[in-house]
Amino acid sequence: MAQNKELLFKSLSDAVFEMEEEKTVTLSNTIIEENIDAYEAIEKGLSDGMNRAGQLYEEEEYFIPELLTCADAMYAGLDILKQHLKVNNAGIKNKIVIGVVEGDTHDIGKNLVKVMLETSGFEVIDLGRDIPPRDFVEKAKEVNAKIIALSTLMTTTMEGMKEVLAILKKENLRDQIKVMVGGGPISQGFAEKIGADGYAVNASEAAKLAIKLVIGGIDHER
Amino acid sequence: MKDKMTSLERMTAYNKGESIDRLPCNPNIANGAARVIGCKISEFKGNGKLIAKAQVEAYRMFGHDGVRIFTDLYVQAEAMGAKVYYPLDDTANLETPAINDVSEIEKLQPANPYKDGHLPAHLEAAKILIDQIGLEVPCSGGIVGPFTNAFFLIGIERMTKLILKNPEAVHKLCELSLETCKRYAEAFIKIGLTPTISEPMSSTTIVSPKQFKEFSFPYLKRLIDFILSKGKTVTLHICGKTEKIWEDMVASGANCLSIDNVASLYNCKNKVGDKVRIMGNVDPSSVMYDGTIQDVRQATIECVKQAYDSPKGYIICSGCSLPINTPFANIQAMMDTAREIGYPIKIDALPIQFTMD
Repeated sequence: MAQNKELLFKSLSDAVFEMEEEKTVTLSNTIIEENIDAYEAIEKGLSDGMNRAGQLYEEEEYFIPELLTCADAMYAGLDILKQHLKVNNAGIKNKIVIGVVEGDTHDIGKNLVKVMLETSGFEVIDLGRDIPPRDFVEKAKEVNAKIIALSTLMTTTMEGMKEVLAILKKENLRDQIKVMVGGGPISQGFAEKIGADGYAVNASEAAKLAIKLVIGGIDHER
Repeated sequence: MKDKMTSLERMTAYNKGESIDRLPCNPNIANGAARVIGCKISEFKGNGKLIAKAQVEAYRMFGHDGVRIFTDLYVQAEAMGAKVYYPLDDTANLETPAINDVSEIEKLQPANPYKDGHLPAHLEAAKILIDQIGLEVPCSGGIVGPFTNAFFLIGIERMTKLILKNPEAVHKLCELSLETCKRYAEAFIKIGLTPTISEPMSSTTIVSPKQFKEFSFPYLKRLIDFILSKGKTVTLHICGKTEKIWEDMVASGANCLSIDNVASLYNCKNKVGDKVRIMGNVDPSSVMYDGTIQDVRQATIECVKQAYDSPKGYIICSGCSLPINTPFANIQAMMDTAREIGYPIKIDALPIQFTMD
């Protein structure tokens, strides 16, 4: 069973990576039928396949048409698997405002992070893509969010992340609202440089980071 | 500093290999011209007189080599039925494509530039431009290439997926798109402008060199053949990464390649500089918009060092259209740097600031 499971995850990852939507759907259904953990399947299958596709894009083997077609396969699998996610309550009652910063319309990564955050018990307010810095702050204020999660794929939009932090600081909200960042060009170093509270390399790490931020945030003074 | 030649004199002499006062320089001001006359970007919508006024005034202020009628990427798609969103004071954006499904392709018609969308206003602007400064400076009409325009007809994401899933539909869209491009180009040419082509979606940041060759190149070449047959030259700008398609860009028949700052001007010169003129590629964002005057000077000198000896000629330019709020002082600094460098260029006399890539 254990080996079968790992094999299935690998096949799922391959199906996404190889742009095979129907195969992704079939495998996702098999995973549900065999009572395999959906969260793990998303992490080690769908998300992994998408990461490999992203890697090939970096290496200029894949281009945007390939990436979007991989994403279609990934979403088709996600539609099936996410209904079977067991929601834990680590992040319960905490709200997160998430979105892709202004100037960028790539939201594949953001959508994955959103699913993982919801699975971890957060209430996620998804602003979508190409979002001005000010909108993140306004929405976070409005819904009393604990975290703002910012995503981008493009180096040209990284400034927008800095801007969100600047607005929070200016409005004296920096202590109340944590900021986490992620996406292709973002690194731990960049996160530290702009003074964000955390960086995550992928969707499941982002969920873990969010939990750490809300739990650690109680007695954490900055 | 004052120029000794008019821009047209300079370009004509440079084309003949005769002596000039300085290298041609085009900061690529675009919608930022609105700042020169103090209007909002959205006021350009359908207002040929104002578009022309802004471009003429900007030219009077900076004296750049090449004035272009171009507001955004969507005018041709809009004339074919796409809906465009016009923010009050920012460049327009695609709101909804002309069609939402492959089955609707048959409904699409090539645009009539004298009637559809805001094309007539752009042609009016072109006419004013020629009347007012046509004898001083090369005037061009900005055209969005057939492949890129096709994205706006059916939607960017949908088109991107069709490239793998339905190549035939992509070709149909490009064919329709090409017809609009040709008509629009012809209208510009009749007024006396030279068409320049922007083809951002052809970049290898978006599609593979193979996909470019299959879906964009054939239509681009036919458009350029058409323009050349009317006795005009063509400048081709593709944003983003292009190194792997430079040979194809040359094969498309373009006379001048304008390259993005993510590509290497130095490599471009070495690879294709003996076949086409090249222009570029000061970073429009981090240098021109965000940098200091000194940054602009350094970056301009660096570009000149990389490409001044390109066999078919070199034009100092930004890597892409300037952001709207680029400081005037930085635009002026680029022009003044070109003037200070002068011509012929004594490369050893240029300040050493960077090493070449």
